[in-house]
Amino acid sequence: MKRQKRFEKLEKRPVHLDGFVQEWDDEGLVAMHSKNDPEPSIKIENGEITELDGKQKADFDLIDQYIAEYGINIDNAEKANAMDSNEIAKMLIDPNVPRTEVVKVTTALTPMKASDVINKLNFGEMIQAVQKMRPRRTPFTQAHVTNTLDNPVEIAADAAEAALRGFPELETTTAVARYAPLNAISIMVGSQSGRPGVITQCSVEEAVELGLGMRGFTAYAETISVYGTDKVFTDGDDTPWSKGFLASCYASRGLKMRFSSGSGSEVLMGYTEGKSMLYLESRCIYITKASGVQGLQNGSVSCIGIPGAVPSGIREVLGENLMCMMMDLECASSNDQTFSHSDIRRTARMLGQFIAGTDYISSGYAAEENSDNTFAGSNMDVLDYDDYETMERDLCVNGSILPITEDQSIKIRNKGAKAIQAVFDGLGLPAITDEEVEAATYGSTSDDMPKRDMTGDIKAAQDLMDRGVTVSDVIRALASHGFDDVAQAVFKLAQQKICGDYLQTSAIFDKDWNCISAINDNNDYMGPGTGYRLWEDKDQWNKIKNIPWALDPQKVEF
Amino acid sequence: MSQEIDETLLKGIIRDVLNEVQGAEKPISFGGGSTATKAPSTQQADQVHPVDWFKHVGVAKPGTSKDEVVIAVGPAFAEIMTQTIVKLSHKDVLRQIIAGIEEEGLKARVIKVYRTSDVSFMSAEADKLSGSGIAVAIQSKGTTIIHQKDQDPLNNLELFPQAPVLTLDTYRAIGKNAAQYAKGMSPNPVPTVNDQMSRPTYQALAALMHIKETKQVVVGKPADQIEVNFN
Amino acid sequence: MSEVDDLVAKIMSQLKTDGNGGSSTATATTNSSSSDPDLTAKDFPLFKNHPEMIKSPGGKPVKDITFQDIVDNKIDSKELRIAPSTLRLQGKLAAEAGRTQIQKNFQRAAELTGVPDDRVLEMYGALRPFRSSKQDLLNISEELKTKYNAPICANWFKEAAENYEKHKKLKGDN
Repeated sequence: MKRQKRFEKLEKRPVHLDGFVQEWDDEGLVAMHSKNDPEPSIKIENGEITELDGKQKADFDLIDQYIAEYGINIDNAEKANAMDSNEIAKMLIDPNVPRTEVVKVTTALTPMKASDVINKLNFGEMIQAVQKMRPRRTPFTQAHVTNTLDNPVEIAADAAEAALRGFPELETTTAVARYAPLNAISIMVGSQSGRPGVITQCSVEEAVELGLGMRGFTAYAETISVYGTDKVFTDGDDTPWSKGFLASCYASRGLKMRFSSGSGSEVLMGYTEGKSMLYLESRCIYITKASGVQGLQNGSVSCIGIPGAVPSGIREVLGENLMCMMMDLECASSNDQTFSHSDIRRTARMLGQFIAGTDYISSGYAAEENSDNTFAGSNMDVLDYDDYETMERDLCVNGSILPITEDQSIKIRNKGAKAIQAVFDGLGLPAITDEEVEAATYGSTSDDMPKRDMTGDIKAAQDLMDRGVTVSDVIRALASHGFDDVAQAVFKLAQQKICGDYLQTSAIFDKDWNCISAINDNNDYMGPGTGYRLWEDKDQWNKIKNIPWALDPQKVEF
Repeated sequence: MSQEIDETLLKGIIRDVLNEVQGAEKPISFGGGSTATKAPSTQQADQVHPVDWFKHVGVAKPGTSKDEVVIAVGPAFAEIMTQTIVKLSHKDVLRQIIAGIEEEGLKARVIKVYRTSDVSFMSAEADKLSGSGIAVAIQSKGTTIIHQKDQDPLNNLELFPQAPVLTLDTYRAIGKNAAQYAKGMSPNPVPTVNDQMSRPTYQALAALMHIKETKQVVVGKPADQIEVNFN
Repeated sequence: MSEVDDLVAKIMSQLKTDGNGGSSTATATTNSSSSDPDLTAKDFPLFKNHPEMIKSPGGKPVKDITFQDIVDNKIDSKELRIAPSTLRLQGKLAAEAGRTQIQKNFQRAAELTGVPDDRVLEMYGALRPFRSSKQDLLNISEELKTKYNAPICANWFKEAAENYEKHKKLKGDN
C-alpha cells in the first residue's frame, strides 16, 4: 500500500508505543460495565443480608459473605439501595448536600449499586465529586524512594530531599527482598533528616512487612493487597478473614495501614468471572471497609496498563478512587506507575486526582529517576518536578510538592546521607564511606554511586534481624554520633505509635508532629467559599508561587 | 531492547482466544457463583501440541538428591505457547537455565505444574519436590522466580517480574544463582535492567498470555515430570 | 461491643482521677460509677489534648517516656507500643465520626496487643489459604479465648474455620 505521509508521521508518535485492546467482556477486559455484571439487589431478613447483588446467601462466595457480614451499613441499606442511582450521583456533586449526608447513603449501598452510581458520572462530574468526598480537607501526596541497587545511602539522601519537598509519606521497596530491613531503616532515617513528621513504609511480603513494623523500622503499611474474585484472592495468598486479621495485627502494634487494590489485577491474574473492572474493584473497596481499615490505595495501581488499554479506562480509574471516598475511606489515588510513553497522555491520566485533590494524589511519585524506581517506574519522577510544580502554580492547585533550591537540596541530601552513615556505624553494619556520602549528595541515580558489596549488606541485614535490633538502637546510634535532632525525630515517631492518633482516617503529621486527619481536618466542601483553597493556605501558596526559575520583575537587568 | 509491541503475536493470541469463545456452543455462564463454575472450562482451553523435545514421563515425585534444582514451567509452556512475551523460544530459555545450573555442577529436573499459573505458587509447589529445596519457576510469558522451601509462597530469593527485559543471558544467570543457593552459597543477585516503559507497552499483552496459560490450569492435578532433549 | 468501650472509657476516666498507673487489663473487671470521657472530634489528637489518657503497655504515662530514657537504654522497646486502652479510646473517636467498622478493628487489635509478635504472625499465617485444618483454626480460637482473653478474635477464627470449610480454603483443599 502506498503510505499516506501524515499517517506515517502519526505512527511514530510515542502514544503508538502504548498497548491498546478492544473490550472483551468474558475475560473482564472491560472498564465500567460488563454484560456479565449482576443487577444490584439486597435483601435483609432478621438483620442479616440474605441476598446481595443477585446472589442468594447459599451461593455467596467468601467475598460476598465477608461484605454481607461486615461491609454494609445495614440500618440504612434497604432505603439507600431503593434510591435511583441518578439521584445518588447528583448528591455526590450537589454542593448543598454535605459530605456527611452523602456518606450515610453511600456506605449503605451494595457494591453493584455503588458501581451503578459511578457509571452515571462523566469525568468532569467525578472531579467535582472527588473534591467534595475526599475525607481530609487538605490534599497531599506520597513518594516512592528506591533504587535498583538498594543502595542505602542513596535511599537516605533521596528520602531527605523528598521530605523537604513536602511529601508527608514515603514508601520504599526492594530490588532484592532480603535487603528489606536496611531499606526500611534508610528511608526512615533519611526522611526524619529532611523533615520531621514524615512517615515511611517498606513494601515487601505481608508477614515480613509486619515484622519490620513491630521493630519500629516502619510507621505504616500500604501494600496489603485485596482482590475482587475469590480465585485471585487465593492466588494473592490470603482470604478476607486473613487480611482482616492482618489489619488488626497492624493496629495492635500502633501502625497505620491501608489496603491496596486496583482495577485490572484480576485480568492480569487470569480470573475475572467476566465482570467489569469497576465492579470487581467495588468488591475490594467493600472488603476494605468491612475490615475496619481506615483507607485504601486504589486506582489500578500497578495494573494501570489494563484499564489504560480499554475504552473509558482512565474514567474508571478516577471512578474507583471516588467510590473509595464514598465509603468514607482514605484514598491514596495511585498515579504511581508508568502509564504511557506519551507525555500528553500521562498528564491526562493524573489530571482528575490533581485538580480535585485527594488524600494522596499520587501513591507514589518517583522521588528518584524512574530508571531507579523498583516499583517498575511511576507516572511522574524527579525529572518532572519542575513541570509538576509549574502546573501547581499555573492552576493554583495544591499538588503537595514544593520547589526547593539546588543549595537546599545539596544540604539536605548530605544530612540524610551522613545520618545513615552514622546509623550503619552505630548498628555495626558494613561501613558507609565518605565517598559514598559525597556521591549521594551530588548524584541523581544509582549509576552515580560507588558499588557496595551487596552480599555483605544482605548478610548484615539478616544478622541485624537475628540480633533483635529495634528502633531504640537506631535512636541511640543517631544520638551517639551527634545527630540529636534526627534522633529526636525518630523518637517522636516512636512516641506517636503509643498514641495511635495517626491510626485515624487520612492521618499525617506536620513538621511539629501535629496529627492532621479526617477527624480534625474533615472535608467541609460545600461549593465556592468553602473547603480547601490553595490561596487561603498562604504559606503553601507562597512556596508554590516562588519557583526559583521565575524572574523577579523588579530586579531584571536589561 | 526493542520497544515495538509484537503485533503478530498479539493478534494471534486475540484471534485464537476469540475463536475459542465463538466456537463454544453457548455463552459461558458466570452467574452461578459456585466454586465449580470458576474452574476454567476445558472446552475453552487450547489444544495441547506435544513437542518431541519436551516429554512427559509421569507424575513428578519428591527428590532426595541435595544436588538438584527443580525447574517448574507453567501449564501452557512449550505445548500451547512456544515463546515468551519477547519471542524467546521456550526451548532456548529452558536450555539456558539448565546450562546455568549444570555450570555449577548440579542437576536440573524439569516439571510442569498444573494446579496454578501463578509464578509464586508454581515455585512453592516445585521447591517441595526439589531435593535441595531450591526451585526456579517460569511462566510461559517469561516471568521467573527463584524460591526456597521454607519461604512463604509470595516471598522469594529472587524475583524477575518484568519478563520483557529478560534475555537468554539472564536466564542462564538465574540458573547459575539457583544452583549456588542450592549449594548453600549467597550469590550476588542477578542484575536486571529496569525498563519502566515495559508496562505501557506489554501489560495488556501479558494479560492475554496469562489468560491463555490460566485456561490450562487443572485444579488438583499434580505436576508432571518432564524429560527434555535439546539435541 | 459498645458496653465494653463504655466500661473501658469509665475505667480510663477513673484512672485519670486516681492517678492510678495500673494496666487496664488488671482493672478491666472493676465496676466504676465514674462518668465517661465524652470523646468527640475536638478531643483529637489525644497526644496533644489528652496525653494523660495515654499510657504505655506497662502503665507509664506517655509523656514520662523520654528521649533520654531511650538514649540511656532505660526503656524496654516493648514499652514503645500502643496499649489496649488507647486503642479503645481511638475506636471511640472513630465511631464518634461514624466509622463503626474502624472501631471494631481497634477492638480486635486491643485484644491482640497481648499476643506476642511471633505468635500473632503465626496466627496470621494459619489464616492464609490452605495452611490449616478446621481443627487447627478452632484450636487457635480456643487459645485466643482462654490464653489471651480475646473473645472477638476467637470468634473471628471460628467464623473463618466454618467459612473455609464451606469454601474449600482448608489444608489439602488445593
